[in-house]
Amino acid sequence: MLEYAEPVTKLIDEFKRLPSIGQKSAQRLAFHIMRMPEAEVERLVLAMREVKQRIILCSVCNNHTELDPCRFCSSPTRDHGVICVVEEPHSLVAVEKTRSFKGVYHVLHGSLSPIRHIGPSDLHLANLLPRLKPENNEGVQVTEIILATNPTTEGEATANYIGRLLKPLGLRVTRIAMGMPVGSDLEYVDEVTMDKSLANRHEI
Amino acid sequence: MLLEWIEASNFRNLSGKIFWGPGFNIIHGSNGQGKTNWLEAIHTLARAKSFRTQHLQESIKFGEQLAVVRGRVAHGADIHRDLQIALQGNTKSISLNGKREPLTGYLSQIHIVALTADELDIVRGMPDARRRFLDRGVASLQPAYVQTLMDYNRVIKQKNHILRNSAEREISLFETENLVAPWNQQLIGLAAQVHRGRCDYVERLNQVLERRVFGREEVTLNYVSSLEGKGDLDDYQGLIAERLRLRLPAELAAGHSLIGPHRDDLAILFDGHEMRIYGSAGQQRSALLLLDLAAISLYNSWHNDYPLFLIDDVDAELDEKRIGKLLEYLEGRTQTFITTAKSSHVGRFFSQANVFEIEEGVVVGTAEPKVISAVEKP
Ligand SMILES: [Zn+2]
Repeated sequence: MLEYAEPVTKLIDEFKRLPSIGQKSAQRLAFHIMRMPEAEVERLVLAMREVKQRIILCSVCNNHTELDPCRFCSSPTRDHGVICVVEEPHSLVAVEKTRSFKGVYHVLHGSLSPIRHIGPSDLHLANLLPRLKPENNEGVQVTEIILATNPTTEGEATANYIGRLLKPLGLRVTRIAMGMPVGSDLEYVDEVTMDKSLANRHEI
Repeated sequence: MLLEWIEASNFRNLSGKIFWGPGFNIIHGSNGQGKTNWLEAIHTLARAKSFRTQHLQESIKFGEQLAVVRGRVAHGADIHRDLQIALQGNTKSISLNGKREPLTGYLSQIHIVALTADELDIVRGMPDARRRFLDRGVASLQPAYVQTLMDYNRVIKQKNHILRNSAEREISLFETENLVAPWNQQLIGLAAQVHRGRCDYVERLNQVLERRVFGREEVTLNYVSSLEGKGDLDDYQGLIAERLRLRLPAELAAGHSLIGPHRDDLAILFDGHEMRIYGSAGQQRSALLLLDLAAISLYNSWHNDYPLFLIDDVDAELDEKRIGKLLEYLEGRTQTFITTAKSSHVGRFFSQANVFEIEEGVVVGTAEPKVISAVEKP
């Protein structure tokens, strides 16, 4: 026997499929939707449909985009000789917020994790190597690949794997540094970050 | 550090709040009344783990959804921190001063040394119990080690998946090597940190070990790397890199990782003999006590503070002579929590202790020591 009428149960079940939504949150959302004016619900449905219909992956860098290639890949002012490799589109946004990176991106949509059955072929890697040839890259020779995957064991393994793939090609492959958040007091930095910062120290 | 009070709800049969004394705290009650449950509550609050079960949800009271253990720890006179662990279904959530806290930060708040029946595995069981003893010790001195160890275990788990998968699907050695390489690269660095941390800790333990408190035999410790005899351990990274390369075919055949400090051991020797094999039950208990006291002493010399000391069912673990010597040693040092079913002990050894009578999980009577005054009750 269903606790709620069938359409309500169906909606709750759909919400529960979403990440970090459990039974309680799903119920709360479903009841909220039932209380919403119909026009608002239509707007929500439309927004969801639109995002599915209009957002595609850039064929060059795999970033979310409406136009292919995306605004980074098609921009004449970006440095197409430097590619920053990130795990997810939101990591790209984080790098972009610095406004100091002028190169282009490559989005993997994940990281290596054998226990979750994610191997190299499950990452969006296949279209990275062709980009390294000038004829596929608007005549520009790629000189550096920056590996900006997450500082987790999975992110490290991913960076390491790509590093091994690219090193023989003779281009510069770098890994972003890990350590102290800027503007923080040493006293309040957690031990792990402090430890990494000490390990990654450099001459001044 | 001082555990000022602890409060439990729906944690096994416990309810209510206990204000502890700064020295010896005797939790006395008949079997089955819940005295060990209070010790387990302290353990769970401190380590986010039970000493009785791998599955924390077992400690949620039958028929209830949510168990909560709260406690307040004092560091010196002015710093008081509220810790909480909540168990619900399969999840546990931990918080410090009312805010969620990552595990590494949380675990460094209370350090405990526990003498419970299953800790005897350290002196007579399999190597994993001894590795856990060492890892807890290293982490007590350098909290970042917890993360190193978590990363190491994660890398081993990921690598094992590749090895198992390759074995099952008959993937070639060459292809497997390609998949394993990014994990081995991290394994080398993390293994070196684990190796260094444990070796240093054993060296320090040896320096503070009070070798003959409980007997005439001399106890010594020796960290035994699984790479011993395979090459130059001083160049650990070079050695393990070479072993990983040479042994990949064997690892592939086995379907799991064969190389690394998850295969190491701690040798506990008395007069040069292996305690685990040749020690009597009494000698093994004495050795475990020596190890615990050395861990306490090291913690103290490092932090200028004492961990909490938990002893479950003191009569089962130790004879009266050892209990006497132990309490003599601990007096004025650790805040100690002891469970006992024998009322004779309550009078004989513990005139300087706070005594808590437990019935059905609840404190039904307390007695404060004549000499030491109890903590101020807010
Ligand atoms: Zn693009």
